[in-house]
This record gives sequence, C-alpha cells and structure tokens, in this order.
Amino acid sequence: MDKKDMKLTIGHLYPDLLNLYGDRGNIACMMKRCGWRGIEAQTVEFNTGDEIDFQELDIVLLGGGSDREQRIVCKNLLAIREQFKEYVEDNGVVIAVCGGYQLLGKYYKTDEGPIEGLGLVDIYTEQGEGRLIDNIVLESSVCEMPVVGFENHGGRTFINDNTPFGKVLYGAGNDGESGYEGVVYKNVIGTYLHGPLLPKNPQVCDWLIQKALERRYGATELEPLDDSREKEANGYIYHRFVKQ
Amino acid sequence: MGLRRMLAVWAAKITEKISVHIFHRQGVTWAGKIALRICPSVLKELSGQVRKGVFIVCGTNGKTTTNNMLCAALEAEGNKVVCNHTGSNMLNGVVAAFVLGAGNSGRLDADYACIEVDEASTRRVVPHFKPDYMVLTNLFRDQLDRYGEIDITMNILKEVMGSAPEMTVIVNGDDALSAFLAMESGNRYITYGISEQVVDDNGSQEIREGRFCKRCGAPLAYKFYHYSQLGDYACTECDFRRPDIQFDASEVEVGDRLAFKVEGRSIAADYKGFYNVYNILAAYTAGRTAGLELAHFNEMLEKFNPENGRMEKFQIGGTGVILNLAKNPAGFNQNISAVMQDTSRKDIIIVINDNAQDGTDVSWLWDVDFDRFKEDDVDSVTVSGIRCHDMGLRLKYTDIPNTIQADVENAICERLENGCGNLYVLVNYTALFSTRNVLKRLEGEK
Repeated sequence: MDKKDMKLTIGHLYPDLLNLYGDRGNIACMMKRCGWRGIEAQTVEFNTGDEIDFQELDIVLLGGGSDREQRIVCKNLLAIREQFKEYVEDNGVVIAVCGGYQLLGKYYKTDEGPIEGLGLVDIYTEQGEGRLIDNIVLESSVCEMPVVGFENHGGRTFINDNTPFGKVLYGAGNDGESGYEGVVYKNVIGTYLHGPLLPKNPQVCDWLIQKALERRYGATELEPLDDSREKEANGYIYHRFVKQ
Repeated sequence: MGLRRMLAVWAAKITEKISVHIFHRQGVTWAGKIALRICPSVLKELSGQVRKGVFIVCGTNGKTTTNNMLCAALEAEGNKVVCNHTGSNMLNGVVAAFVLGAGNSGRLDADYACIEVDEASTRRVVPHFKPDYMVLTNLFRDQLDRYGEIDITMNILKEVMGSAPEMTVIVNGDDALSAFLAMESGNRYITYGISEQVVDDNGSQEIREGRFCKRCGAPLAYKFYHYSQLGDYACTECDFRRPDIQFDASEVEVGDRLAFKVEGRSIAADYKGFYNVYNILAAYTAGRTAGLELAHFNEMLEKFNPENGRMEKFQIGGTGVILNLAKNPAGFNQNISAVMQDTSRKDIIIVINDNAQDGTDVSWLWDVDFDRFKEDDVDSVTVSGIRCHDMGLRLKYTDIPNTIQADVENAICERLENGCGNLYVLVNYTALFSTRNVLKRLEGEK
C-alpha cells in the first residue's frame, strides 16, 4: 500500500489536565515524522468528559499531571477502562508518560490515599521518600540509540514480570533500585521520561508509528529520515552523563 | 544586640567589597550569609527600623521589574528606600539588601523597603520580619524540577499569608490562582487588573494553568483571555469568580509603547510587552495602597531603566541589540509577542542553559509557542547555550530553520558581522549574566 493512502489518528487524552512536561513535543514529533514520510496524521484531543471511540485511534498519548489532577483524571478513566483495555489487548499503540504511566497500572498509593489505575498492565506504584529528579539515560530493546530524557517523580513503580522499557545507564528509573525504567507491554510503552521523550529519541517515535501502521495496514517499511539534529541532541545528553 | 548588628553590617560590607573587587562577582548573597551568621536577628532588627512600610513582591514573572519600579516610584516622591535591586531574592539576598543598605552605625535610614522574594523562599524569609504588604503578580509553571507543581507553590504562599494576618495582599485579580489565594487568605486584599479585552487571545494554543476552580474543582469559564490564564473568569459550578477590580486599567494600548488609564489618570511608558502593563499597574497599586499620591509616577516611568537584561538596549557598531530574559513558557510567549511587535527585519538568538538556577529540566521549551518566529521579518534564528541542541530541535519540529552555535560570544559576533543590524537576544536565567557581560564588553569596544 502506498504511504500516501495511509492515515494515522493520534488520540491525546485529557490535555486539559495532563500537560505538565512538554507533552506537546511528543505530539509534534509523531505528527512531523508521519508528515515527512507522506503519511497523513491527525491528532484528536479528548478533554475530561469527552466520549472516546478507541476504534478510530491508532496511537494514544497519556501525559503527565500533578497528583491532584491525576485524581480528577482517574474518575474519567474508570468510565472508559473496558474499551481502553480492549484497545490495548488488540495491540493498540499507547505511549504513557509520567502520571500517565502510573495510571496504566493497578493503583498508585499516595500519602493522601490510593488512586485507582486503569489496570491495563500488571504494575503498581507507591509514593516513596522524596522525588527522583534528574536527567536519565537508558539502553532500550525497542531501539539502537540510547534513550535520553528527564525524570521527575515521587512514585516508585513496580513492574512485576513485565518487560522494562530500558536498563538505566544514568538516573533512577522505576524505583531507584531495580536498575530498570518503564514498561513495555504489547504495543504499550509506559515511562517516566519526559523532556519530552520523542524528539530526542526518534527511534522510539518511529517504533510507535511502525507498530501503529502494522496494526492498521499490515507490514510496512518506514522510510529513513535525516536525523542528524536528533542524534546530536541525543548524543549530547548521552556523552554528558554516561560516556566521558 | 546593637553591637552584634553593627559587626554583622561591617562584615557584610567588607565581604561584598572583597568579592566584587577581588573575585569580580556579585558578593551579595555571601554578604547576607555572613551577616546572618554573626547576628541571626539582623533582618528582624533592621526591617523594624523601616519608618513607613515594608513591601515584599512575589509571583512567577515580573518580580524584579515590579519591585524596582515600585522602589523608583517611592523614591520619586522623596522617600528613602531599601531594595534588592539585583534580584537576589532568597533569604541571603534579602538580608544583604538590608545590611548593605544600613549605615556603619548598624542603623537603617529608610522610609520603605521593597523586597522581591522567591516564592519558595517566602517561608524562610517572612518569619524574620513582618511585611506590611505583599504584591502577588501571577503564578505560572516554572522550573518544575525545583519548585514542583504549582500546587506546592500555592501551599507555601497560603501558609505565609496565614502567618502574617496583618499583611495586605496586593494581587493581580486577572490571575485565578493568585486571586484565589488572596480571597481565601482572610488577609485584607487589594486587586488590580484589566477588565476590557485588549487582544484576541482566545484561539491561542498557549498552555493555561488552573483551568479548574481551586475551590470546587469544576472547570472555569472565561469571558476573555489577556494571555496565558490571565483574563476574566468565573467558576461554572460554585460562586468563585474574578474579584471586583479596584485598580482597573482601561483604554489599554499595547504596541511600540504602552499606555492606559487608571483612576482617571493617563499612564504611558516607552516599553514593549503586554506584561509590562501588569508590572506598571502592580507598582502603581502598591504605592497607592500605601497611601501615596504618586504625583511623579509618569516622570519616574520616563527615566526608569531596568538595566538588568529586561528589554535592555545595547548599540554595538551598526547593530541595535535588545537583551531580554525569558525563563518559563508564560514569560517566553510574552517576549515573543513583544519581539514581534517590532515589524522591521530582525535576527534572533536564543540562549538556553540548564544550570541549577535555571532548572535542569528543559522540557518547558516545548510549551512555548515559537511559531510566530516563522514570520517573514525574522531573518535568522541562532540557538546557543548549554542546551542549544534541545532548543534547535524544538525549532526543527516547528519548521523554523536555525543555526546551532553553542558559544554565546561567537553566536553574537557572527550576527553582528553578518546580520541585518537589528538583533534580539532572548536568554534564560544563568545565560543572562554571561550574555550581558559579553554585550557590555562589545559595546565598549566598538
């Protein structure tokens, strides 16, 4: 199938509440990297209370918000939990960042009581002592380039037997102890990395696009792009924090 | 006690001189630290000697300009004022303003004190002295890695207002977050704001804080926005709404210069940037609230030159350079508006660092609307500073061609040589001092 006939729809969930760490950069990155390849892409924003038809969506972005805002979002999410779960089990692509990552799990236990999660992935989060705030570098199985970003979270996430998104080369990761960061389940990536995640990690962005195209249109090759700027920005962080 | 205070004052003055002359750096915070070590009650004692009133100025953006302008307005009426002009706004910087302002006898000769205080530091500063007035300019997202979420800053300010019940809060009524704090505090509060729509900002994609009522959690509805979340709001569920505005600016003109009316008086200034209407209005409201007539306010504005990298002008050879601080999305968006009000051809340099004082997290760059730099009159954009690669990438994903030049001096010299003669340099916090030094030196050389 010609790329010109391919179309992807990105669903941005609750940008009215979850918009803390440059999530717009993740959206812009997906849109541009589709556009540069002639793949038509559109983003649909769903604010709290909006009806969501998951069948229309190819990639879902769930961003980060404050604990208080997460609590409000949680109420809305529980209403769509079943459809969201079907979407995930049907290999729907999801990128969930920070608070969005925590919401993927069963619960987030905070000092002010638990926040019920979507239970899409068998993971859970508990509030820890102090926040984990720093630049972070990973080695990930989804791509060759190192994954770089910034983390800022009070929650410690435990992923049970699930596959992590990456091995921590610099930074804290899921719980500051396991040496791993994030989770990959089917076509879902959950991660604490913002900064935002995708522009400096173009291969992660392409992984999401590739999976979404495969799901809707069958096997397809992604045309390579000139990523020299992306690699420079990625390499700067990698060399500054990992390789002297 | 007096002797100890005198020693503290002397030690601070000597420290400041040594650090400036030998180390060529601002020794203000060191001076404050040493004074506090020698005499822990020095701030309480000296601030107690202020004859007429103590102001503190807080808020994410506009602190330094508002505070320095208020100081100039009070001085224009013949008062002696203590002020932390340099913007050193944590505890040591505040102490330094008082001790360096004191005489060698260890006594302070001042009618007023104008002190800007970092929001997170208010909790440490306010127990030392009793401000009579707090000016609260606005609350925007800023340095999330340092301050955490806005909710945390709001909790600190709430606690501080509660601990100083006699303090009058002078608040920007157009900001639902700041106004909420003042209205719920139980303190006396005075509002300023703009009740008429000045620009059409309703379609903007700008990130807006506090879309939900802080009292009940329901969405807020806006009649209009000025910029960011500033505007005329009311809760869709409970009775929380924008308070009545006591110092209301009308006939607001925002262009090459600013003009508005308040209390029937015409105020005009040769500045750019909508945000400066709020800065001027805040300083005016504070002065009037303290009971001053402010008869010389316009004269003061005419002479007022911030000289601190806030729209600061330099002339280097044939090139006019304007340096401006932009350190968070709300401030940056306002800066972009101000730059684009100049419709002549221009070159732009953006300098982004990620030192501790800047916030080490640069994700906020993606919350700034750089699209407006796509206009034809922007000849070139150069990105510089420690995180120039991030900045360059940010622009790439908005289709704005840009050149990376990590070294600030090289970036500036290149544009002085090959640019169009009209250069804007937008910098974040730690980049401000180094860039300003470069510009001052180049201005002296050419």
